[in-house]
Amino acid sequence: MLSDDQLQELFDGVLHVLEYTGLEVQHKKARKILKKAGAWVDGDRVRIPAYLVKDALAKAPRSFTIFARDGNPENDIHIGPGRAHFGPGPTPPNFIDIETLERRPYVRSDSEIVATVCDALPNIDFCESLGTISDVHDELAASYEFATMFPKTSKPIVAWSFGKDDAEDIHKIAIAEAGGQDAFEKRPNYVHYCEPLSPLVSTVEALDKLIFCAKHRVPVIFTPCPLAGGTAPITAAGIITQAAAESWMGLVIAQTLRPGLPFFMGGVLSVMDMSAMILAYGAPELSLMMAGHTELAHFAGLPLWQTGGCTDSKTLDEQAALEGSLSVYFSALSGGDLCHDVGYTESGMTGSILQTVMMDEAIGYSRRITRGIEVTEETLAVDVIHDVGPNGHYLREQHTRDHYKTEFWYPNLCDRRNFEEWQEMGSTTMRDRVIARTHDIMATHQPTPIKPETEQAIEAVLAAAEERVKE
Amino acid sequence: MSEILSELATAVIEGNSDDAIDLTEDALDDGLEPQNILDNGLMPGMDHVGVEFRAGNMFVPEVLRSARAMQSAMDVLKPLLVEGGVEMAGKILLGTVKGDMHDIGKNLVGMMCEGAGFEVKDMGKNIAPEDFVTAVKEFNPDIVGMSALLTTTMRSMGHTIKALQEAGLRDQVKVMIGGAPVTQSFADKIGADGYASNAASAVDLAKQFAGV
Repeated sequence: MLSDDQLQELFDGVLHVLEYTGLEVQHKKARKILKKAGAWVDGDRVRIPAYLVKDALAKAPRSFTIFARDGNPENDIHIGPGRAHFGPGPTPPNFIDIETLERRPYVRSDSEIVATVCDALPNIDFCESLGTISDVHDELAASYEFATMFPKTSKPIVAWSFGKDDAEDIHKIAIAEAGGQDAFEKRPNYVHYCEPLSPLVSTVEALDKLIFCAKHRVPVIFTPCPLAGGTAPITAAGIITQAAAESWMGLVIAQTLRPGLPFFMGGVLSVMDMSAMILAYGAPELSLMMAGHTELAHFAGLPLWQTGGCTDSKTLDEQAALEGSLSVYFSALSGGDLCHDVGYTESGMTGSILQTVMMDEAIGYSRRITRGIEVTEETLAVDVIHDVGPNGHYLREQHTRDHYKTEFWYPNLCDRRNFEEWQEMGSTTMRDRVIARTHDIMATHQPTPIKPETEQAIEAVLAAAEERVKE
Repeated sequence: MSEILSELATAVIEGNSDDAIDLTEDALDDGLEPQNILDNGLMPGMDHVGVEFRAGNMFVPEVLRSARAMQSAMDVLKPLLVEGGVEMAGKILLGTVKGDMHDIGKNLVGMMCEGAGFEVKDMGKNIAPEDFVTAVKEFNPDIVGMSALLTTTMRSMGHTIKALQEAGLRDQVKVMIGGAPVTQSFADKIGADGYASNAASAVDLAKQFAGV
């Protein structure tokens, strides 16, 4: 989408912001680390010379693997050029109940539903909760969330936490399954998510978590959420430049502490709708800005935390399908490395696993297109064309049999039957089929269990966490 | 069901023609009746294929492979069945009607009917009413199947039925029709005995006509 010249201009713009404007770094220890590394620290304000940023970029890997907790290679995530992965997002306060279909506060059992369904969906690669648990102690929502999801999916989880304590809770559970800290460092089985503030602030919480990840070699995402026209410039190039600067502050700290730490550049970039006053999750600018952000990340040699499959709609309707599918498709085209928020509705206020289930179909569809056309002697099929000749047919050809499963994508939810059969099967709509598939997964899917020692670790971690918040 | 018949059903399901022939011959050597082999080996295999196809677990190339395995075994059994005076599932005469050159759907119907045990004579495409009449006289089918893709050529189905009536052959055959623009009400209007909206339903319809 962007030319090399444009990317170079964006890249130079980010370096300029970091060197001449700098960011407010609210974390004392982080300022110390940065100063020692060669940054200019003036009170809370930290400016980073370009060479330091380039050093950090050189140290960060472009390709690495996040491993499935159960050793199932199909669920490993290989980050690298040309590979787009998809999963839900974190922390909306509400959830669409899969039985009543009503919007209500997110509860602990919803984490179990989200993890189980994500584990079963063929095109969902990683798991996030789609909510903040409301029926446990306020400070333990993230700890309970991870403890609840981890046994229900072997796909890597992208975890979030309020701060250091619950980051540690999560890590204890993950390393119990991995077989200890050393084993985890060789085969990390989850990713942690940190969110700095726009414009240009690295908060204490975000950096506490980042430093924790660097110390324990947890692959990390450092992702601001700027609003074009509100907390960032209104122009696409402007918001990309600012968001990259915000994310790369985290990059410099992380790579200084732990060279080679797997790091995802982040930024959920969208518009502040100037009429509805919301962060629009279904805006075309989101897809456009995220594609530009992805190209900048790849230009700089980093994987990106992408966004797609989300909507501003309040329900599972045509708007949800349209906005979600188009952003998923654009995200797949841009090759953003981990595309999250698949299942966000109502502008990020409500998580809906039904939206995720519908988007699983859109991702499969998009992936068939991005897989492209293979041109080889075998696929050219001139011999087959010759053999069949005029007036023949290909239904019985070995060539057809050899390729029909891989050349075509087969839908799970989109209906292609003729009218009579569709009518016989109950004249269902997409919405009906999404709900039915979700219920079917919940009734039948059995995720790989966690190890007994991990079960014990979860019990111990949650008991200790409850003690901690009593004080 | 004996083990060999169960293996035969599996050979049909997996579309393995060589195994289907070998197992049929072995079953005959073991003294099993041809009718027993057909009813309890081959047919359960094809029935399973039909169920799996409808459920979306098997696809057209696999169904055709199974149909071919079924036919290969039938080539062994058929002379013995005829010799024993056993009624076959039935004979089907197929063709795309006059003016229409589209035959992929009709081909599919033919292959799937063969897989269900029918003897199929496929006349090809652009078949005029009088050619259908001649073929009915020669082949003596139980069922005549016609297809058309174009709204402009589907009228020829009515002309063919009329030609069969005029030749005094209408009562000795069941006529079934299909093709993208064809509907049940069109079938009723031109006096066809049945309509099927896809190849799998066409097989069901043919079975219904043949009473199997």
